[in-house]
Amino acid sequence: MTKSTFHFEFNDLNLSVSQIEGIIGYKEGEDSALVSGLIGEILKESEKICNIKAEYIIYKDILFNYADKSLNISEINFQIKRIVFSQIKGSDSVVVFLCTAGKEIGIKSREAMHEKDLLRGYIYDVVGSEIVEAAADLMQNELEKSVISSGKKITNRYSPGYCGWYVGEQHKLFQLVPDNYCGIRLTPSALMDPVKSVSGIIGIGEQVKMNPYTCGLCDQKDCIYRKKRQ
Amino acid sequence: MNDILEKIALCVEFGKINKVSPYPPDMKDQDGADELAKRALDEGTKPDEILDKALVPAMAKVGNKFSRKEIYVPQMLMAAKAMNSAMVHLKPYFQSGETKRKGKFVIGTVSGDLHDIGKNLVAMMIEGGGWEVIDLGVDVSTEKFMKAMDENPGAVLGLSALLTTTMENMKKTVAAIKEKQPGSKILIGGAPVTKEYCEKIGADYYSPDPQGAVNYLKQLVS
Repeated sequence: MTKSTFHFEFNDLNLSVSQIEGIIGYKEGEDSALVSGLIGEILKESEKICNIKAEYIIYKDILFNYADKSLNISEINFQIKRIVFSQIKGSDSVVVFLCTAGKEIGIKSREAMHEKDLLRGYIYDVVGSEIVEAAADLMQNELEKSVISSGKKITNRYSPGYCGWYVGEQHKLFQLVPDNYCGIRLTPSALMDPVKSVSGIIGIGEQVKMNPYTCGLCDQKDCIYRKKRQ
Repeated sequence: MNDILEKIALCVEFGKINKVSPYPPDMKDQDGADELAKRALDEGTKPDEILDKALVPAMAKVGNKFSRKEIYVPQMLMAAKAMNSAMVHLKPYFQSGETKRKGKFVIGTVSGDLHDIGKNLVAMMIEGGGWEVIDLGVDVSTEKFMKAMDENPGAVLGLSALLTTTMENMKKTVAAIKEKQPGSKILIGGAPVTKEYCEKIGADYYSPDPQGAVNYLKQLVS
């Protein structure tokens, strides 16, 4: 098992006001005066309050079960379902990763909501989600760089709760990492604490590739990845 | 509709909270929903006219625009804030019973789930529809829902969940409420929830967006 840990600075993420506006739904050229100042303010604050960290473990003892489209990692069976299976089945090892923006931004969002400043609470929430996704992108880039010299490639990252993979399998995923790994704990209902965290798997191998079009394979209409792509 | 009610409705629709509020830029330095509602009452407009002829239709317009994807969440939140600024002036009339709401609506995110943005959007749109909203917050147990429904006879219940794991807790809550209050109406929503799931667990209505929930409640009291 190979383990890696990354601490990212907020500025490494290169998040912009227009990027967050796009996530909210604003199209280029649309009047976003209502939110642009607030997004700028919260991005600036995020630099001080976020504790961005990513960790992963590479597992080589994996087994793909073609009959039921499942994957065994270190003898734990994951019912990853058709879409994830089809993208990851050529892997010769699998990364289990966790990534977080830290506690504070989620707390800020909840506090603002509680104080009935719903817009501020909402923007904190969107910015927090974007921070953790951008950090996971950086972690993924680092992983790609580390395997490329051996002629290998990586897949997209896949998380329980997306592409038909049942979110309850988070519990199995967390069995593969040490307690409080990356500073993240799991609630009984499979929610991560801090809330602005992501977890999942990435395949590594000579026969795999990144696929920019996986949303076309999935029928989850409200997924954040689909919205981002649109 | 008289001039001041039209102005209040416009302020709510476009999120003009009060005079100092800089948004929207083309209404800068003008009175907002806050000042206009107060002035309307001072000039003798009845509070239920403000509610029924300005606030409720304005919020319905906002909800419909959101359903048609013509506006985004921030504009809807600003509209709700503007509505609340007007509603503050109506609250004493609700408390005294001079003005009646359309009914009571109990809402919460089910046990084990901490997501509240969707639930908050629905709550504020329903309040904008003229209902009294009792928001129990997030991670609400079946027992807490039952207690609130006992304390508010005739209230409609709204359950929210964002995860497939916590969605299962809706089933438990719906079963418990329906057993104790078979005539109660329960609507459910959230990213993983579907019409089929709603039928499967015996809830009464599933809405994919806030305005759908408002329309369902409207239909219940019409």
